[in-house]
Amino acid sequence: MAEALLDIRGLSIDYEVGAGVFHAISDLSLQITPGRVLGIVGETGSGKSTLAHAIPRLLQEPPARVRSGRILFRGVDVLELPRWKLPLLRGTGIGMIFQEPINSLNPAYRIFDQVAEAVAVRKLRDSGQTPTLFQAVEPHDYSRGKPVKTGPALLHAAIPHLPGIGTGARREALRTEVLDYLKLVRINDPETILDLYPHELSGGMRQRVMIAIALSEKPALLIADEPTSALDITIQAQVLTLMKELLEEVRTSILFISHDLGVIAEMADDVGVLYAGHLVEFGPVEDVYTNPRHPYTKLLLRSVPNRYKTDGPLPALTGSVPSLAKIPPGCPFHPRCPLAREICSQDPGPVLERAKGASASTHLSACYFSEEVATIG
Amino acid sequence: MTETAPQTRNSSSRAEATRVSKAEASALRDFLRGLLRVLRANPLTFVGFILVLILSVLALLVVLVPVVTQLLLGHTILLTPFDPNELTTDYGQPPSTSHFFGTDNLGGDIFSRILTALPLDLAIGFGITGFALLVGGGLGLVAGFWDKPGTIGGVVSLVILRVTDVFLAFPSLVLALAIAASLGRGTGPAMLAVLVTWWPYYVRLTRGEVLAVKHQPYVMAARAAGVSEVRILFRHVLRNLLEPLLVYYTLDIGTVLVTFSTISFVGIGVPLSVPEWGSMVELYRRFLQTQPWTVLSAGGAIFVTVLAFSLFGDGLRDILDPRSRRALVQAAIPSTLMAKAAAAAEA
Repeated sequence: MAEALLDIRGLSIDYEVGAGVFHAISDLSLQITPGRVLGIVGETGSGKSTLAHAIPRLLQEPPARVRSGRILFRGVDVLELPRWKLPLLRGTGIGMIFQEPINSLNPAYRIFDQVAEAVAVRKLRDSGQTPTLFQAVEPHDYSRGKPVKTGPALLHAAIPHLPGIGTGARREALRTEVLDYLKLVRINDPETILDLYPHELSGGMRQRVMIAIALSEKPALLIADEPTSALDITIQAQVLTLMKELLEEVRTSILFISHDLGVIAEMADDVGVLYAGHLVEFGPVEDVYTNPRHPYTKLLLRSVPNRYKTDGPLPALTGSVPSLAKIPPGCPFHPRCPLAREICSQDPGPVLERAKGASASTHLSACYFSEEVATIG
Repeated sequence: MTETAPQTRNSSSRAEATRVSKAEASALRDFLRGLLRVLRANPLTFVGFILVLILSVLALLVVLVPVVTQLLLGHTILLTPFDPNELTTDYGQPPSTSHFFGTDNLGGDIFSRILTALPLDLAIGFGITGFALLVGGGLGLVAGFWDKPGTIGGVVSLVILRVTDVFLAFPSLVLALAIAASLGRGTGPAMLAVLVTWWPYYVRLTRGEVLAVKHQPYVMAARAAGVSEVRILFRHVLRNLLEPLLVYYTLDIGTVLVTFSTISFVGIGVPLSVPEWGSMVELYRRFLQTQPWTVLSAGGAIFVTVLAFSLFGDGLRDILDPRSRRALVQAAIPSTLMAKAAAAAEA
């Protein structure tokens, strides 16, 4: 197994607010190997977005507080970086696509300026004019085992930054590259789009621009925090198709966060299932979906609406997600679990370990009775 | 710049520099053309723009004409028809062709006095409010952006805000009066007094706006893209503050003029020998019923100035906001031109 690009160990994050302490993430460990797409799936409030924001240190602290754990990105502990170094980590190291494309672009600037800003950030780092944390990985040396279609933008040698010449020449130099990235995300008529303001674009277009901005920095890890949730279903399909095509072209590692099991199945190589801030199951997406080894995953998969099912109501999960201020002792899922026994409610709860009866060695589950999961309903 | 030192550059970089300066020149031309379109589409802004232009040019002339004539001819020629402090026997005259705005109770020509006061009043309005905008806005920017408790920024922000609170705790007029009184009578001390009391409001206003803008998703998106904090502050936060700040600034010019005149009214501001609109209003207030032109002219001057800046400021906001600017420009393009462009696009 190749060395992990991102290695999270024992991460716990709390929100300390007036109403109490909310344990958004509890003792979470996971690894992302270079070139793979890791999907994180979970219900609302399971800590998905907290995880996504914690990795590039974008959490609002306070109220958020990292209680324990380490986030190793290319061997550097992100949590121990001084604050002034954080911008160097973001963008070129860890890129991010957000949930709300509507407000993620600055309304005061044209599309060109916003993409060009990201391109300029990367170029200054590549040419050594501003400090970087990491040597650029260019081209990304982790192939996905498929023939690589490199987008035109990635073939461009970094144009040396032109110092001290008026804005006109710099704009010209950036223009071709910005255009390439807009073409990369399949924007029609990019020449016109360049000169438009964000309010003149639709939600899907804006999300494409956001993707172009994130990709233009050539991040080693791209975090996509529910990139399609705010879009309507047809646009969602378009953006997903685009991202799937881009996966092959840009060959970057992706942490893809979604509440949609179908989207994860489509996009990810590995999947992690979050429940109340705990990672309850982790493994290759096919194994987890066909042969779930945690009761929560099993019940979650069963409750997905089936198009052809006509007999009776949907098999919904009974009960509700526990409050993050009062997570049940032991296994957080035991109050709703059909397999629950005495031991499940005792601290410390089950740890994430190799699932019994699973075919893949990387298939992990946090359940004492993972071999019995197949017997559920 | 390229014309001043061409011999120090080699030929290729000179060609490049020329190309760049050409590109910049065309960008400027585009900007001016766009400004003209916006002004034409928005008649009220146009009125405000023209008024501000006229007032500024007049103020410049009032200051420059005596100086230049003194240098060239050896004796001073005033732009105004009369010496503003000349006392004549024509006192209490209503407006006529020789005295456009009439004369006051001492025979001074009101038109001359108002015109002479123009540079001073513009300086008060522009200068004091501008200083408050720069100082208060700068402090508010810092206090709002780096306000995380427990950091250096948090401490600085706390200090700025508490000092601001001290200033805001006094009614600003009382504080200004106290400062002006302790410094003695004169134009300078009165201006200083307003200057010192005016900036705290801008700290509060700017800080509030910064707090609202810095939690916008696009600020987080810029942060996630690796943009440095200083750049985020100036490029992403400050740019989105300009609209509310400019509108407040232009409206505030009138308030400053009125406050300044209040200081003059109680007799610790501008001496009576120096014409100033606010003090003129207070001085002529007694003649509202017998010689209304005196007080109305001075009040009208304040009114026109404030109106000009308000209209101009409102228009500036429309120009700064990309949403309304686009609509304005589109409205300003004549329909024949639009038809031509459409035909060209089809061909």
